[in-house]
Amino acid sequence: MNGPDPTGTKTFETEVLIIGGGVTGTGVMRDLALRGVNCLLIDRKDLNAGASGGNHGLLHSGGRYASTDWETAAECRAEAEILKNTAKDSLDECGGIFAAVDGDDPDFAARFPEHCAKAGIPCRPLSPAEARALEPSLSDKVFAAYAVDDATVDPFRITLGNVNHAQHLTDSVYLPHTEAIDFEIANGTITSVLCRDMRTGDGVRIRAKQVVNTAGAWAMNVAKLAGCADVAVLYAKGTLIISNARMSNGVINRLRAPGDGDILVPGGTVSLLGTSSDNIDSLDNVRPTIEEVDRILREGIGMVPSLEHTRFIRAFSGVRPLLQASGADVDGRKASRGFRLFDHEDQGLSNFASLVGGKLTTYRLMAEKTGDLVARRMGNTASCKTATTSLPTGEADRWTEPGFAPRYWYKRNDPTDAILCECEMVPQSGVDAIAADAVGAEKHMTLRAIALRSRIGKGSCQGSFCAARVTSHLYERDVYECGEGREHMRDFVSERFKGVRPVLWGKQMPQMELAEALHCGLMGLDLQGTRDDESGDGTP
Amino acid sequence: MQDTKTPVIDFQAKAHDLLPDNASYDSCLSCGLCSSGCPASGFYGMDPRRFIRMAMLGLNEELSNTPWVWTCTLCQRCAYVCPMSIDVSVLVGLARGNWPKDKKPQGIVRSCEAQMRFPSTSAMGVMPDDFVEIVEEAVEELREEDDRFKTIEAPMDKKGAYFFINQNSREPATEPEELAPLWKIFDYVGADWTYASKGWAAENFCMFTGDDDAWKEMVKQRVDAVNELGCKVWVNTECGHSFYTLWKGVERFGLQADFEAASLISYYALWIREGKLPVNSDWNTKGLKFTVQDPCQLVRKSIGDPVADDLRYVAKKLVGDENFIDMQPCRSANYCCGGGGGFLQAGMNEQRLAYGKRKFDQITATEVDYVLTPCHNCHSQITDLCDHHDGGYQVIHFWTLICLSLGILGKNERRYLGPDLAGIGLPKDVS
Repeated sequence: MNGPDPTGTKTFETEVLIIGGGVTGTGVMRDLALRGVNCLLIDRKDLNAGASGGNHGLLHSGGRYASTDWETAAECRAEAEILKNTAKDSLDECGGIFAAVDGDDPDFAARFPEHCAKAGIPCRPLSPAEARALEPSLSDKVFAAYAVDDATVDPFRITLGNVNHAQHLTDSVYLPHTEAIDFEIANGTITSVLCRDMRTGDGVRIRAKQVVNTAGAWAMNVAKLAGCADVAVLYAKGTLIISNARMSNGVINRLRAPGDGDILVPGGTVSLLGTSSDNIDSLDNVRPTIEEVDRILREGIGMVPSLEHTRFIRAFSGVRPLLQASGADVDGRKASRGFRLFDHEDQGLSNFASLVGGKLTTYRLMAEKTGDLVARRMGNTASCKTATTSLPTGEADRWTEPGFAPRYWYKRNDPTDAILCECEMVPQSGVDAIAADAVGAEKHMTLRAIALRSRIGKGSCQGSFCAARVTSHLYERDVYECGEGREHMRDFVSERFKGVRPVLWGKQMPQMELAEALHCGLMGLDLQGTRDDESGDGTP
Repeated sequence: MQDTKTPVIDFQAKAHDLLPDNASYDSCLSCGLCSSGCPASGFYGMDPRRFIRMAMLGLNEELSNTPWVWTCTLCQRCAYVCPMSIDVSVLVGLARGNWPKDKKPQGIVRSCEAQMRFPSTSAMGVMPDDFVEIVEEAVEELREEDDRFKTIEAPMDKKGAYFFINQNSREPATEPEELAPLWKIFDYVGADWTYASKGWAAENFCMFTGDDDAWKEMVKQRVDAVNELGCKVWVNTECGHSFYTLWKGVERFGLQADFEAASLISYYALWIREGKLPVNSDWNTKGLKFTVQDPCQLVRKSIGDPVADDLRYVAKKLVGDENFIDMQPCRSANYCCGGGGGFLQAGMNEQRLAYGKRKFDQITATEVDYVLTPCHNCHSQITDLCDHHDGGYQVIHFWTLICLSLGILGKNERRYLGPDLAGIGLPKDVS
């Protein structure tokens, strides 16, 4: 059905166009595919380029919101249960604790069990000694603690899995670096969405029966393109820092009113401390700052003192797209973590929907509600299957899991399969598999696109070595030609450096001096001409 | 009994406990200097950097079971070149100790067991009485053979002697004729020395099994023997690990040693400087070329530059400045030959010879005729490498060349010399 139209613009036809490749957009894609619907997903950058890639990877037990927003808390609890049953491969059911330390409000701590009970969240009181036995890195100043069923989730694996499943079910398609620039509307119906391929500059026309806006923080912009003025998003920037080693067995939450630096989440082989929360007006140049890192760390140390001497390898930021109800509080932390599905019918459109707000933990429920609306509009009577259908992982989509690559490589015991990324031990065969078969794989795939689908560049060297090695390998495989690989490499390492810069002290300092020697002293990347920057994604 | 399960070690946690904070695995830059300079890189898919990364990524089961730990010779070159001073060998040693005894290379295990059996602490099972008898017989022979040594002594259990000399078991067990050159040197300089009937053996394979208690026990028996005789200086024979095992063991296990531990090489150099050992290179009329192997255990792992300097000072005095050629890299950056860490006894000959190829190439590049090895393991391995790779060099101890230069090397003390030196400096009445 796809092909160039007479004007030279490439045209795609699909039943449902989804704009925004985060966890909700891909969730909607899979939800609809399970109902037999063919979808086309576009993203102006790549998967999880916004908040879906810029978060803790925390699958909330609900405890975090028990005291302030019991409905969100209960939703989190129910959804976490579903994901534990259907997306096991993407989760680490590590458990979590809430702990209050000297100086925290004892009343808040004391009321925690009662709030949890209201939201139906299991919570078990721990003595300070029991808490510290579970989590030895916890401060000895802890005076109240509770165990909860927190878990962690790999949002990249979820997203890749969603797209892979949808491709498999209904031949649905994902187009990266494709930006919606205009909507053609006739009689209250969107007939086409005009897009631009951000890499080639070529026009792309997409004809769809239904259009879903899951652009996250950019949802307001997309809605406006369609002439809808009803979507209002509050931008709350959150910054997190990543340690070089895993620091705890499970999630450690500060038992107090939500604030900066009060959640430490294990991410496989590392830990993530965050977040900050600052309202911002613009989505341009969102990057972590030294001030935010200092703030997160200052608060985190009160809960886990060893953070003071921990090696951090990177900071990253995401923007929470929070629902802004009219007249609502402008404090991002107090704004609702709930979501809303706009059907835009009061804006005069019959086949457009926007999904706004919500959380990683509740993404499936959000997708279900959206799927229900879209299916109903299309006269599709199939019911939602995501609550009971397991999320499969594609062969080429397993590389985001920490520790997968080294185990795979070691077991395979093939001396010709050279390791390209030493920190995370990603071998050639992994890069080859991703470049050939991963979700969103394409010719001349960028280094960042490969890194997003693997652990490449995520270890302590932050791309010092793997950037050059993977690039060389891709030249050898004829994936790159002429100067493009060098450009991708420069783009990749400068994007990594934005995250490293605010945590540049102690053990990470010599690491980056070595990186500078390699990238500037040896390869002269600093002298190479710049190209358009597609930065801003928060991939940890 | 090959199915005993190896317990799993938490390597990251152990690295955190055992290594200094600024040189623990958490400090690794992944730069690979360790691996590119490690002759064991590549065996079983492993190298030092991979060991660290796998620890950080939690591949504890794989690390607990990889046979690579027996191909690493614990030479610590990785730690020496590491910009963050990370010592991988500490956890390799831990991993070795963690292997069930029946799975460990049996050659190393049996050598350690032999050491534990008798107060000799000899890995070749030479018992105290045997040692005393072998030494007495060899002294008798020497006195009879050469008039110049008719009053020579090899004192045994002499209380209050200045030097306590340890002895590698190889000589008394298999080549007793190699004992005498050292005695002649002591005689020449008038050293006040003694052997002991207990704790006399130099080698310590228990250290290579990863069994710290056994290592400690061996060193303790030797330290007690020296303390008992009241000697001032314990001098180890020309052997690397036997120096390290006691020198390091005293510190590691907090043992009370009423003496100083010194290397024979340092005394060779001292006696030459003092004029007590008037060696020269006049015998080297053919301009034969020599290089020296820096034993890892003696140079990089313990004394460092001072003994590396002494090795070169002694070698150059013996062979002539212009006939000495250093391998590159050398001194503390030298590559292990592959004879260390128990590799010679581990039964992994294919890997050991492949490991040693780097050393063989280093030697070959110098185009020397002789390699001086002040270490028994280096001596065996470098000889083996020569045979296996068809090299054209000879491997000798310093004592042989010192005696040759002084004109006191007996006819039967020349087994490691090539034909070019076989007849040099023989006493006229014997030749």
